[in-house]
Amino acid sequence: MLLRKTRLDDLLAALSVQARVYVPALPSGESASRFVLVQQANNTAFDLVNTTMPPKDLLFPQTQKMYRYGFDDEGSAFIDPIHDADDTVLFGLRSCDMRSIECMDDVFLSKGYDDEFYGSRRERLTTVAIACAEVAETCFCDSMGLNPNAAPGADIQLSPLADGSGYVVAAQTGKGEAALVGWSEFLERESGEGAQGTPLLSTSCTLKVNAEGIKTRLDGMFEHPLWDEVSKKCITCGTCTFVCPTCHCFDIGQENKMRDGERFRCWDSCMFSSYTEMAGHHNPRADKTSRVRQRFMHKLCFFEDRYGKSLCVGCGRCVEKCPVALDITVLIDEIASAVPDTKEVTDVA
Amino acid sequence: MSTIQEQLRTRAAALLESGEVAEVITWGAGRFANQTTPVFLTDPADTGKAVFNDYCVNTLAKYTLAEKGAGKLAVSVRGCDARGINRMIADNQIKREELYLIGIPCAGMKDRLTEEPLPKCVECTHRNPVVYDELLGEAVAEPGEEAIEQTRFVEVEAVEALDRELRLAHFEDVFNRCIRCYACREVCPVCTCRECFVDQQRVGWQGKQNNLAENRYYNLTRVFHIADRCVECGECARACPMDLPLMELNRKMIKDLSGLFAAGEAGLTSEPENALGRYDVNDVEEFM
Repeated sequence: MLLRKTRLDDLLAALSVQARVYVPALPSGESASRFVLVQQANNTAFDLVNTTMPPKDLLFPQTQKMYRYGFDDEGSAFIDPIHDADDTVLFGLRSCDMRSIECMDDVFLSKGYDDEFYGSRRERLTTVAIACAEVAETCFCDSMGLNPNAAPGADIQLSPLADGSGYVVAAQTGKGEAALVGWSEFLERESGEGAQGTPLLSTSCTLKVNAEGIKTRLDGMFEHPLWDEVSKKCITCGTCTFVCPTCHCFDIGQENKMRDGERFRCWDSCMFSSYTEMAGHHNPRADKTSRVRQRFMHKLCFFEDRYGKSLCVGCGRCVEKCPVALDITVLIDEIASAVPDTKEVTDVA
Repeated sequence: MSTIQEQLRTRAAALLESGEVAEVITWGAGRFANQTTPVFLTDPADTGKAVFNDYCVNTLAKYTLAEKGAGKLAVSVRGCDARGINRMIADNQIKREELYLIGIPCAGMKDRLTEEPLPKCVECTHRNPVVYDELLGEAVAEPGEEAIEQTRFVEVEAVEALDRELRLAHFEDVFNRCIRCYACREVCPVCTCRECFVDQQRVGWQGKQNNLAENRYYNLTRVFHIADRCVECGECARACPMDLPLMELNRKMIKDLSGLFAAGEAGLTSEPENALGRYDVNDVEEFM
């Protein structure tokens, strides 16, 4: 099936009757793009390679109220969970963004614990990926095992036609197939040659990094002198973690009033010293070397230990936004060529 | 006549070789074309990595705080870096004798993607380092009062000219977009509190939620904390991943302080002569 760009606005309008539809947009007067509710997106930007802010806040908001508690008028205690999930369509995400959602699914919905706040949003989310027609110089997803032309985890995949007139539409999950029923009046059947013959745009990243076997190398590099070197320029702000589509660490806090209060969770960052600070001021990661190491180890080693995939999806957002150009792609290549520290005792099994 | 970059490499090597300094903090090449990144050189053999071109966007002053202690530090300083260093000395963050300042005149840096001059460099009031131990190359022409007048407070005046409601809407829009990554605080050469009010969690000044109230509280408190010490390096606005116009508020404070107390520019000397740090019986009290 084909979706012509001329029908895109009509499709989005129709979808937003039933659901909250988010599209990549560059709000006017701003230079940081993000996914915006289609009714408020005065400047949609489907041509953007990547949004400045990743779509993770739709599933994992920067601040999420979890429950209200307190005493009611009769003096009995109450705890009321807050569920604010709604039918949502994430329209126009990239392969890297889709993989990042799969990483968050692992964290919040696997290994025997289902996070109800994430889960309720995830269940009602339909993902529509658009394959990349071009890449940014900071894109390196295909070195991290992804394909900019296909996001197999997305419910629906759109692949841009070479003539720029629209997209080939394919459902990839049951949810996607069900959703496509509502799309039918905006789609065309492919004429003549069918899906096989429709020329599609495809692309590959110009930035290649050597991530082959990086997890195994890092297993033996916890005490490697390289961490001191790479962390020197880090200023320990939270930019990389907040623009990262997969960083998912959070803190839980509460706001108390006289008789009631609210519990919330909000993004936290392993770059902040307070992240690991314990009662009595002890901080197991007080210095920036240990914090920088933690972040990169989590991305490139620890997550793979636990979930079998890299937590870096190669979107390049941190590469683009780090104020001091501490570049994960440079680090990955340095790890690939680092001389192993022979003192290291490696027994991670 | 050799380029500044060549001189920088030569001098860095000589300073390290002679043992006069333990480390040189300067710029090196990044992965991409026209990209630089801070580098920390300790081996004379590595000084070929030092770079000086039109894309040295980072102000280096703040790094002296993390790097001090291992011996004398050489730092590449332009106007912005040097003013940051002066202010850090005035704030007792580092001693002048712990530093060797390699002065570099700077005609302004460019954004690597747009090739446009960096906003912070367009607004620069001191292109030549205001303090140094040696100067590489020839001093460049300062922007001159007229140019400064046309840039320094232009943004502030535009906001001041808005109706109260529009002004409120403007600031709410800015604070709503803040993601509180604290990059502005971390790059700032005068944000040197060992424990920032944000991190005093037991006291609880700053709540952790991201919302308008908390974001506004963070940004306004930071502005007040650095009010009379801001050296106008513009690093906060450059570092901001959301491209928020953070210098507007800083310059509003500077403008008001200059009007109320005839406060001069911060960081021109290492004397702690900040307007809010002293009291004069003739001070205006119209805001009391």
